[in-house]
Amino acid sequence: MNELRLIEEAQNGNKKALAELVKLYEQTVYNFSFKICRNKEKAEHTMQETFLSMVKNIKQFSGQSKLSTWLYRVVSNHCLMLARSQGKHEFTSFEDESAVIDEKSIADWKVTPDKIAENNELREFLDIAIGKLPADYRVVFMLRDVEGLSTEETAKAVDLTVAAVKSRLHRARAFLRDELNERFKYGQ
Amino acid sequence: MRDLNMDNEKPVCKDVMAHICDNLGEELESPNCLLIKKHIEECDNCNHYFKSVETTIEFYKKYNVTISEDAHNRLMECLGLNE
Repeated sequence: MNELRLIEEAQNGNKKALAELVKLYEQTVYNFSFKICRNKEKAEHTMQETFLSMVKNIKQFSGQSKLSTWLYRVVSNHCLMLARSQGKHEFTSFEDESAVIDEKSIADWKVTPDKIAENNELREFLDIAIGKLPADYRVVFMLRDVEGLSTEETAKAVDLTVAAVKSRLHRARAFLRDELNERFKYGQ
Repeated sequence: MRDLNMDNEKPVCKDVMAHICDNLGEELESPNCLLIKKHIEECDNCNHYFKSVETTIEFYKKYNVTISEDAHNRLMECLGLNE
C-alpha cells in the first residue's frame, strides 16, 4: 500500500495503516530528535510525543505538504518545547557576527566524515560542538542542512521568515565549522 | 551580505564567507554569486573555508543513530498500536 493510501486508511480509523505509517517514519523522527536533544531518553520521549500528535491529528492532515515535512514540523516543535522547559540559556543568540566568521584559521583537517561510524571520541566531540548551539539554531541547521528540507520548508516548520532561517543557518554553519576547525586542524 | 557593485568592487574574504554560509545549496546565479564564485576560484583561503563548511555538514549527515527494538516496542505500546 502506498503512503497516500495508508494515510487515507489511517484517517478512516484503520489501526494497521496507522501502525505502518509509524513504522515508516519512526527511524527518521528518532534520529532527528536525537540530533537535536543529543540524548537517547529525551529523543525517545520527543519521538513518542510526536507520534501521539500524529495519531491525534491525522484526520486534520490535508496532504498539502508531505507527511514527512509535517512530522518534521511537529518533532521540531516538541524538541524546542523540551529545550524551553530546560531553561533560557538554550535560546541565547549570536549577536556578534564577526565573532563567528574566522578567516584566519584555515587549516587542513586530518579527519574525514567516513571515520564517524567507528570513532566514539569523534561522535562525542560532534555532540559537544552542536550542544553549544542554542536549540533554535540547531533545529534550523538540522532541518535545512542535514535533513535536506528547502529554506522555505524549514521556515514553515519552525515558524520563521526565510530571512531569519538564512541568518540562523549562516551563524550555525560558521559556528560549527569553527568548532570543528579548532579540533581537526590538530588531528583527532 | 552587503551588495557588491560589479563594476567597481571586488568581494573580500569576509563577504565570501558570509555568502557561503548564507547560500550553500542555493541557486548561485545572481551577479553577486558570480563575483563570489570567481573569488573562490582564485582565493585558497576561501576555497578551503568553503570546503570545510561542506565537510562540517557532511559530518552531521553521517552521524546517525538507530532506534532500538525496545524503544520501538515502547512507542507502539504508548500509541496503543501493539501487534
